[in-house]
Amino acid sequence: MIVEAGQLALTFAFALAVLLAILPLYGSFVANKPMLLLAKPLAFGQFFFCLLAMLALIYAFRTNDFSVINVAQNSSSTLPWYYQITASFGSHEGSMLLWVLMLAGWTALVAQFSKALPLQLHGRILGILGLINVGFVAFSLIMSNPFERSLPFFPVEGRDLNPLLQDFGMILHPPTLYMGYVGFAVAFAFAIAALMGGRFDSVWARWVRPWALAAWLFLTLGIMLGSWWAYNELGWGGWWFWDPVENASFMPWLAGTALIHSLAVTEKRGTFKSWTVLLALAAFALSLVGAFLVRSGVLVSVHSFATDPGRGLYLLVFLLLVVGGSLLLYGIRMNAVRSQARYQLFSREMMLWGNNIFLLTACLIVFLGTLFPLFHKELGLGTISIGEPFFNQMFYYLTIPFALLLGLAPWVRWKQQQLLPLIKPFSLIAIASLMLALGVMASMQSVQANLGLLGLLLGAWVGISALAEVMLRLRQFGSVSAGISKLNASHYGMTLAHIGFAVLVVGVAMTKTYTVERDVRMQEGDSTSVAGYEFTLTDVYDLNGPNYGGQAAELDVSKDGGYVTHLHAEKRFYRIQRTIMTESAVHARLSRDLYVSLGEELPGNAWALRIQVKPFVRWIWLGGVLMSLGALLALADKRYRRKSSVAKQEVANA
Amino acid sequence: MKRYVIGLLWLMCNTVSAEEVLAFANDAQRELYYQLAAELRCPQCQNQNIADSNAIVAVDMRQKTYQLVQQGQSRQQILQYMINRYGDFVHYQPPLNRVTIWLWLAPLLLLLGLLAVGLYRRRNEAAQTPDNLAGTPDELEQLIEKYRSKKP
Amino acid sequence: MRKLFFYAPLALFLLLALFLLSGLFSDPRERASATLNKSLPAFALADLMQPQHIWTAEQLKGETFLLNVWGTWCPTCNAELGYLTELRQQGVKIVGLYYELPRDPAFDAPFNLQTLQQDVSQKLAQHGDPYQFNILDLQRSLSLDLGVSGAPETFIIDAQGIIRLHHIGDINSQVWRSKLAPSYQQWSQP
Repeated sequence: MIVEAGQLALTFAFALAVLLAILPLYGSFVANKPMLLLAKPLAFGQFFFCLLAMLALIYAFRTNDFSVINVAQNSSSTLPWYYQITASFGSHEGSMLLWVLMLAGWTALVAQFSKALPLQLHGRILGILGLINVGFVAFSLIMSNPFERSLPFFPVEGRDLNPLLQDFGMILHPPTLYMGYVGFAVAFAFAIAALMGGRFDSVWARWVRPWALAAWLFLTLGIMLGSWWAYNELGWGGWWFWDPVENASFMPWLAGTALIHSLAVTEKRGTFKSWTVLLALAAFALSLVGAFLVRSGVLVSVHSFATDPGRGLYLLVFLLLVVGGSLLLYGIRMNAVRSQARYQLFSREMMLWGNNIFLLTACLIVFLGTLFPLFHKELGLGTISIGEPFFNQMFYYLTIPFALLLGLAPWVRWKQQQLLPLIKPFSLIAIASLMLALGVMASMQSVQANLGLLGLLLGAWVGISALAEVMLRLRQFGSVSAGISKLNASHYGMTLAHIGFAVLVVGVAMTKTYTVERDVRMQEGDSTSVAGYEFTLTDVYDLNGPNYGGQAAELDVSKDGGYVTHLHAEKRFYRIQRTIMTESAVHARLSRDLYVSLGEELPGNAWALRIQVKPFVRWIWLGGVLMSLGALLALADKRYRRKSSVAKQEVANA
Repeated sequence: MKRYVIGLLWLMCNTVSAEEVLAFANDAQRELYYQLAAELRCPQCQNQNIADSNAIVAVDMRQKTYQLVQQGQSRQQILQYMINRYGDFVHYQPPLNRVTIWLWLAPLLLLLGLLAVGLYRRRNEAAQTPDNLAGTPDELEQLIEKYRSKKP
Repeated sequence: MRKLFFYAPLALFLLLALFLLSGLFSDPRERASATLNKSLPAFALADLMQPQHIWTAEQLKGETFLLNVWGTWCPTCNAELGYLTELRQQGVKIVGLYYELPRDPAFDAPFNLQTLQQDVSQKLAQHGDPYQFNILDLQRSLSLDLGVSGAPETFIIDAQGIIRLHHIGDINSQVWRSKLAPSYQQWSQP
C-alpha cells in the first residue's frame, strides 16, 4: 500500500515537473506574472512528492517487502537496519530515485534562496531545472521503476545487498556524490537562462558562483568518500584505480573546478563570458555523460550497475536533447556576446586562464583515457586498455606546471602585475619550500631525487605561497590582527582550498614513492618486519556476523620494541550473495597507515596476509576535505547573502 | 583479553619469522613483479588488474609472471609474453600507433591551442575596448543594484 | 569564421554521441584475440582417457577441427555438449581441451585422474560426447598460450595447424550458423 503511494507520489512529481517545465518558461516569454510566480510552489511541490516517493521506498526496504523486485534483489531480512536504508539507493533503480530527489531538492533550494533574482530569470531557471527533471522522473517511472512488484509470486527472502556496499562509506558516498553531480544542473540552468535572455555579465556570475561552489563542494566530498571507501573495502590498499566510474565523477569535477575559477574572472572583470558559460554547460553535460557511461553498459567497469540497452538508448536520446540542445543554443546566441576587459600578459586574468587550460587538458586526458578504448574498438582497430600507467604518466607532467602556476597566481593582481616586486617573496618561498621538502626527507632518512621529493617541493611551494599571500593581504589592512576579520571569507576559502591541493599532492607523491607492501605467509605466533614495524599474528578464529561468516585475524604491531597497536583484520563470507570480502585492518596516523588484509588459508595451518605501510596516505583525503572546507568558507562570504530591498517589487515583463 | 595474553606469550617465547608467500632473489625483482601485477589486466574480469583479481586466469597469469620474473626476464619481455597471448588489451598502457598517438597529441594540442586563444584574445580586446568596468567591489555592488532595480 | 567557432562544442558532442550510439550495440566485453592466424603453440600434454598417450601440436595437423576448451565444473560447457554432439554427427571434428581448475590445498582433495575420468565419462554419457579425444591441460599451460580466459572457448584450427577463429562463450545453433560455420567451411576446403 505504502509502495503504491510511493509510486503515486512519483507520478505526481512527474506531473508537477511537467508543469514547472512549461508554465514559468512560457510565462517568461509572454510576460505573464502569475505563471512566473507559480514556479516556486511547483518546485516545492515537486520536491515534496519526490521525498514522499523516497520515503516510501525506504519503508519498503525497512519492512522487507520482497514482493517489490528492487527490495528482493538488493536487501534481505538479515541485513542491519542502516544498510537496509542505504540499500534503497544501492541499486540502479533506487539510485535513480535518489538522483531525482536531489535534483528536486536543488530546484527547491534555488526557489527558496534566489528570491533576489529578477522574476523572469528566476522563473526561467526553475523551468529549466523542471525540464531536466521531467526527463529523469520519466526515466525512473518508465525505464527503471523502483517500486515494481513481482506479484503474485515473490521470494520469502531477498538476495541481500552487494557486500561491497555494506560499509559505512557507502552510507554517505552516494548522496554526497549525487548532490555534486546534480548540483551542476543549477549552474547549467543559469547558463541556459542567460543564453535565452542574452545577458551575462558580472552580475550573472555573482549569482551563479555560490551554486557552482556548493555543487563543487559536494562533488569533492563525494569523490573523496568514494576513494576512502575503496581503500577500506577493496582490500588492496588502493585509493584510485582510474576505473570508468571514478573517471565519470572526475571529469565533471575538473570542469567544475575550472568553472569556479573562470566565474571569478567573469564576476570581477566581466570577461571570459562565453568561456564561463561553456564551462557551466560542460560541467553538467559531463555529469550526464558520466551517468550514461555508468548506466548504459558501453564500458566495462568494476562497479557499474546492471545494464540494459533500452536504458542506454533512453539516456543517450536525453543526453542529445539536453546537451545537444544547449550547445546548439550556445552556438546560436554566443557570437553576439563580446567580452570587455583590458589586461596585461602578467595579470590575474591570464593566471586563471592558465588554470583553466590545465584543468581542461586534464579533463580531456581523463575523457580520452576513459572513452578511447571504445573509439578504438568501434573503428575496428581492436581492443585496448587504458589504465593507471597512462594516467599516472599524463598527470605527472600536468601537475608540475599546474602546481607551479598555482603557487604564483594568488599573488598576481587583476589587469596588470609588475614582475619586479614579486621576485623577492618568490625567491624566499622557493628557498623555504626547498628547505621544508629536504627537511621532511631527511627526517625520513631518505634524501634522494624521486617522486616523493618532487611532491614535497610542489606541495610546499603551493602551501607556503598560499599562507604567505594571505599574510600579505592581512597586513594590507594595517596589521594582521586587524585584517583577520576584514578579509573576505572567500579569500580564506581560496587559501584553504589551495593548501588542500598542496596536501593532496604531497599525499599522492609520498604514498606512491614510499609504500612498502609484503605478501607474507604466517602461522599463529609468526612475526614479520615491514618498513621497521614488527607485525605478529596472535590469533585467527572463525567469525559469525548477522549475514556473514568467515575468519578474523588479530595482530600486534610493535616498533623498536615498543607496542604500537593491535590490528583486527577480517575475511568475510557473505552467505546469501556467496561472495568473499576483505575487511582490512587499518591503523591510521597522519604520517603513515598500517594496512593489513587477511588472504587465503595456506597449507600447514598458515595464512596469507598482505601487509602494507603507506606513508602520508591520509593526506590524500585530508587534502580533499580541506578543499571542501575551503569551498564552504567561500560560500559563507557575506556578499552572496545580501538581501535586496527592491527585489520584491520586481516584475519581469520582457 | 585471554586471547591477548596468549598472544603475548606466543610473542615472547615463540617468535618465528614469517616468510614471504612469493620469495624473490632481490628487491628489483620484487618491485618488477608487483609493478607488472598492477599493470596487467585480468582478461576475464570486469576491470581489474591481475593483482586484485582471484579469477583462475588471473591466478595463472600471476604465477606465470612470477616464473618469468624469477627467470630474470625483463619488464618488456614479460609484457610482450602476455600481449602475444592476450593482446594489447592485457596491458593498461595502450600501445603507440597512428590512432592512439592522439591520446597524447590531443591533450597537447588543446593545451597549446587554449594558450594561443588566450594570448590572441588578450591582444584583441586590449586594442578594442575601453576599460569601463567595475574596478572595485563597491562599484560592482552598485552595478548589481542598478541591474536589480531595472525593468527589463 | 568566429561564428563557426562557437558551434565546435556541438560538433564534437555529436561526434561523441555517434560513438556512444554504436557502443550501445556492441558488447564491451568482446575482445580481439591475439593468437589468431598464428600456429597452434607447441605443447606435449597427455590424453585425458589414455594418459600414456602424449599429444603434440604436430599430431593435430592434417584436418580442420574445433578445439573446445571445457570442464565438467562449468555449467555453460555442459550445456553446449548436446549441440556440439550434433555437430560431431554432421561430421565436424571436435577435440576437447580439458581446463582443470586449480586446487585449494585448504579445501579441496588433491588431484586424482581416476575421479576426473569418471566425472567426465558420466557428464559425456549424460549430455552427449562431441569429442574425438580430450587433451588434459592440468596446469592450464596450453590454455595460457592460447590466450584462453575461461571456459567455454572454442578455436577453429585448420589443416596446417593455424588458428583461424577464437570464440569466447558458448556455442548454440545461432552462434554456429552466424559465426563459426562460415569460418569452418572456408578453412576446411582442401
